[in-house]
Amino acid sequence: MTSATLDHYVLISALLFAIGLFGVLLRRNTLVVFMCLELMLVASTLALVAFSRFNGTMDGNVFVFFILTVAAAEVAVGLAIIVALFRKRQTIQLNELNSLKN
Amino acid sequence: MTMLSHAIFVLILPLVSAAIIALFLRRSGGAAAAVSTLTAAAIAVISVILALHNERFTASTEWMRLGGLVISLGFKFDDLAALMLVIVGIVGLCVHVFSLGYMHDDPAKARYFGGLSIFMFSMLGIVFADNLFMMFIFWELVGFSSYVLINHWHEKQSASDASKKAFIANRVGDFGFLLGIVMCYWLNGTVSLTELAAKGEAHTLVFSTLIPLFLFCGAVGKSAQLPLHVWLPDAMEGPTPVSALIHAATMVAAGIYMLCRINVLMVPAALDVIMWTGTATALYAALCAITQSDIKKVLAYSTLSQLGFMVAAFGLGSLSSTHLHGTEAHTVVIAAGVGAAMFHLTTHAFFKALMFLGSGSVIHGCHHEQDIFKMGGLRTRMPLTFWTFTIGVAAIIGFPYLAGFFSKDAILYLAFEKNSAVFALLALTAVLTSLYMVRLWKLTFLGTPRSDHASHAHEGGLTLTLPLVFLAVLSLVAGYTAFYPNVFSGVFEHIPEAHGSDHTIIFITSLGVMAVGASIGYFFYKSTPTDTLADKVPGLFAALSAFRNAFDGAYGYYVAKIQQRFALFVNFFEQIFLAGLIVRGLAGFVGLCGLGARALHVGNLNAYVYWFLFGLVALWLFATGVL
Repeated sequence: MTSATLDHYVLISALLFAIGLFGVLLRRNTLVVFMCLELMLVASTLALVAFSRFNGTMDGNVFVFFILTVAAAEVAVGLAIIVALFRKRQTIQLNELNSLKN
Repeated sequence: MTMLSHAIFVLILPLVSAAIIALFLRRSGGAAAAVSTLTAAAIAVISVILALHNERFTASTEWMRLGGLVISLGFKFDDLAALMLVIVGIVGLCVHVFSLGYMHDDPAKARYFGGLSIFMFSMLGIVFADNLFMMFIFWELVGFSSYVLINHWHEKQSASDASKKAFIANRVGDFGFLLGIVMCYWLNGTVSLTELAAKGEAHTLVFSTLIPLFLFCGAVGKSAQLPLHVWLPDAMEGPTPVSALIHAATMVAAGIYMLCRINVLMVPAALDVIMWTGTATALYAALCAITQSDIKKVLAYSTLSQLGFMVAAFGLGSLSSTHLHGTEAHTVVIAAGVGAAMFHLTTHAFFKALMFLGSGSVIHGCHHEQDIFKMGGLRTRMPLTFWTFTIGVAAIIGFPYLAGFFSKDAILYLAFEKNSAVFALLALTAVLTSLYMVRLWKLTFLGTPRSDHASHAHEGGLTLTLPLVFLAVLSLVAGYTAFYPNVFSGVFEHIPEAHGSDHTIIFITSLGVMAVGASIGYFFYKSTPTDTLADKVPGLFAALSAFRNAFDGAYGYYVAKIQQRFALFVNFFEQIFLAGLIVRGLAGFVGLCGLGARALHVGNLNAYVYWFLFGLVALWLFATGVL
C-alpha cells in the first residue's frame, strides 16, 4: 500500500467541492443546500491542511482555524434564518421561496 | 449731506417707493399713488438742488470682479447728467401729478404707480451711470418698466401685443449695444466713461467703426430709429401719461443721451450712418404722421420724427471730426452735435410731454375717444387744454421765439453748415411737421363737434390742468439759453448759433417752412368726419398708408414666412436628432438593457448560483487574460 500523496488529498478535496457545488446547484431543499455549502468549505479546508502538511509550514493550518471559526458563526446564523423561515412560511423548498419575483 | 449722498438718495428713493408699493400697497391704489407722487416730487426737488449746486463729481464702487473684468457701479455727474436729471425730474413730476387725475378710477392703480416708480429708478440709473455696463443694466430695467406700463391694460389684446413688440424690438437693439460694450472693453480695456474720456484726451483710445455702430444699435432700439421704430406707435396702447413720460420725453431720449455720453468713441464713418439714420427716421415718421387719425399716434410719429432730428443733429455735428485735422477742431465740432441734440432733447421733452398730457386731457374729456375725426370744437369746451396745447403745437412747429424754434434752428444751422442734402431733407421734414401738427390741432380743437363725446367734452380737474400750465410755461421759455442757470454751460455753450448772413438764411428758411406747412395744414384740411387728403387725393393717402405699413408688413412677412419656416425646419431636426435619437434613443437603450437584466431575475436561488458561477468563470478568464 502506497502512502497518500498531495495529489490524493487535492483530488479528494476537489471531489468534495464538486459534490458540494452540484448539491448547491441542483438541490431544492434549503437545508441540504446549506449543508452542501458547508461541504464546499470543508473541501477547501482539507486542501489547505494538506498543503500545510506537505509544505511543512503552518500557514494553511492557521487559515483553517479562521475558516472554522467563521463557518461556525455562519452556520449559527444560517440555521437560525432557516428555522425562522420555516416558522414563517412552513416550507424551506427553494422553488417555493420566490415571493420577491412574484 | 454731500452732493454724492444726495445723488445716491435720489437714485434709491424711487426703488424704495416701488418696493413699498409692491410689498404693502398692492390693494390700496390711493396710498400707492400718494407714495409714488411724493417720491416724484422729492426727486424733482433734489434734482434741481443737485443741478444748481455747482458741484460736479464722479464716484464709483466695485460691484463684482470676474477674473480681470471689474464691473463697478458709480455716478458720473457732469453738466450733461445734470441737464438730463432735471428733465427727468420735472417731466416725471408733471406726469405723476397728471396721472393722479387721469388714472383716478383705474382698478390697478397701485401697479401703475409702482411701474412709474420703477421707471424713475431705472431712468435715473441711466442718467447717473458712470460706465457702460451699469448703463446697460438700467437700460434693460427701463425696457422692462416700459413693457409693464404699456401692458397696463393687459386685458386688451392690442396692449399686450404692443408691449411684447416693444420689448422684442428693444431686445434686438440691446443685443447690439451689448456687443458694442464687449467690443469696447476688448479694445480699450475699460468701459468706464471717465476712463474712456481720459484715454481720449491722452490719445490712447483705440478707435473702431464697429464700436460706435454697435452702441448706436442700442439707441436705435430705445430711441426708435429706423428700422426698429415699429414699436413706438404701438406703444401708444399704454396709458397716455406713460406715453408722455416714457415714450416721448425721457426713455426714448435715453438713446440720444447715451450717444452724447459716448461721443469720445465716435468715428466719421459711424457718424455718417447715425446722421443718415436720423434724417431718414425724421422724414419717414413725418410722412407717416400725416395719415394718422388717432391723436396719440400722430404724436407718436411726431416723437419719432423729432428723435430723428436729434440723432441727425448728433451725427451732423461731428461730421467733419476727422482724426487727421488736429484735435482742436475735432472737439469743437463734436460738441456742436451734442449741444444741438441735447438742446432739442430738452425743449422737445417739455413741449412733447405737454402735448401728450394735453392729448390725455382731451381723451379724458371725450370719454376715451382717440379719433381726431370724432372730435372738433374742443376750443370752447376745454379752453385751458386748448391754449396749452396750442403753445405745444407752436413750439414744435418752430413758431418764432418759442422753445422749438431755437432748438430746431440750431439743428438746421448745423445741417446747413455740414451737409446740404441733410439740410434739405430736414427742412422738408419741418414743413411736414407743421402740416401734421396744425392738421391735428385744427381737427381736434376747431370747427364743430363731430360726435356726442366731443360735444359733451369737459375740462378735467386741477391735477389734469396744472401740469399742462406748468409745461406750457416751460415750452414758452425753454428755448432761451439765458433762461437756464449757468450750471448747464457744459452742454449749452456748444449749441451752434448762426451769425450774420447765415442767421438770416436760417431764420427765413425756418419761418418759410413753418408758414408753408402750417398754411397747408390749416387751409387744406376741413373739419369733416373724414380725412380731407383721403377724399381729395386718395392715391397719395393710400401710398402714404402703404409706406407706413411697409415695415410692419416686412417684419410680419419675415416672422411668419421666413423665421417661422426656419423654426419649423429646425424643430424637425430637433425632434429627430435631439429629442428622437439622443434623448429617446438613450432612454430606449437603457430600457432595453433593463429588460435584459430583468430576465435574469428568475426568482430561483439555483439559477442565481448559476449566474454567480458564470460570473466567477468570466472573472477568472478576465484575470488570466483569456478574455
